[in-house]
Amino acid sequence: MILATECDVANEVICAPADVTELFEFPTLFTIGGLEFSRTHILMLFTAFAAVAILYYGLRGQRLVPTKFGAAVEGLVGFVRDGIARDVIGPEGTRYVPYLMAMFFFILVGNLFEITPLINFPVTSRMAIPLFLALVTYVIFMFVGFAKNNFRFLIDTAWPKTVPIALRWLVGLIEVFSIFILRPITLAVRLFANMVAGHLMLTLLLTSGVIFIAAIPEIGLKGSIGVFWFGLGLFMFLLEILIGVLQAYIFTLLTAIYIESSIHFEH
Amino acid sequence: MEGNIEELGRALSLIGYGLGAIGPGIGIGIVAGNAITAMARQPEMQGTIRTTMFLGIALTEALALIGFVLFFIASA
Repeated sequence: MILATECDVANEVICAPADVTELFEFPTLFTIGGLEFSRTHILMLFTAFAAVAILYYGLRGQRLVPTKFGAAVEGLVGFVRDGIARDVIGPEGTRYVPYLMAMFFFILVGNLFEITPLINFPVTSRMAIPLFLALVTYVIFMFVGFAKNNFRFLIDTAWPKTVPIALRWLVGLIEVFSIFILRPITLAVRLFANMVAGHLMLTLLLTSGVIFIAAIPEIGLKGSIGVFWFGLGLFMFLLEILIGVLQAYIFTLLTAIYIESSIHFEH
Repeated sequence: MEGNIEELGRALSLIGYGLGAIGPGIGIGIVAGNAITAMARQPEMQGTIRTTMFLGIALTEALALIGFVLFFIASA
């Protein structure tokens, strides 16, 4: 938004940032012991804090009749525990509920920052954060796989016994590549790209709408197309709520599915 | 001349992303369409079908999103 107001309206190209990364990089605000803090870092810490605060205020003081907020948080917690952990992983899934819950709430809050007024920046649109979350998931499902199945996990993946022998090396190669290399990458990129796309779309539509409407005195009725862009931006706004929740759900669901495939490994 | 090549590269990466979005588009259509058919046939299985549908969509979508990221890498 700040960038947009600096643009020259009268020019033919109204507003083209030199680089798209401009929208996602913020200047360093202060430094503590060699760690540079920018807006992203502060928002990241704030995300974790907000997730903990939501859980704390939602679930403290067990009442017979929970408050409305408490009921909503209980619904989400129950959804992660029953709908994701127990449904997908099975009875052993209860062990992984804390991890899945932390993941779900962190990503949910981080995604919804995209549409929170005054913040308007999804922390999950910086590759480092989804990548780190995906790597934690990777370590967990690798560890579970090797702990439960020893090296059968690797050997049976690379040399699947149920496949005809002529195709075994090919299937094994594809399986090893997809499980050991592709899984964490796609997990991270899915969340990251969704959030980047959403943030770009919202920025482009809303700012171009504002710019066009503001330029009506200068460029005449052509500027009224800004109303359309702005309306489309507001529609995208609603869509982004859906996408933010859905991506948090999908990330958690895929984490659970990867853990499940490591536990019940008998292909 | 150099500027032209840069422009050409950007245009090509845009076309590449467009081509890359075709497959996942068809795929998501098939997944969602079949999920709707399944839900209409067995409404009592709705919850399971919806979970599986989102999973299928997420896995299919990954290709388009990789294309999206590669577009930015290639055009930067």
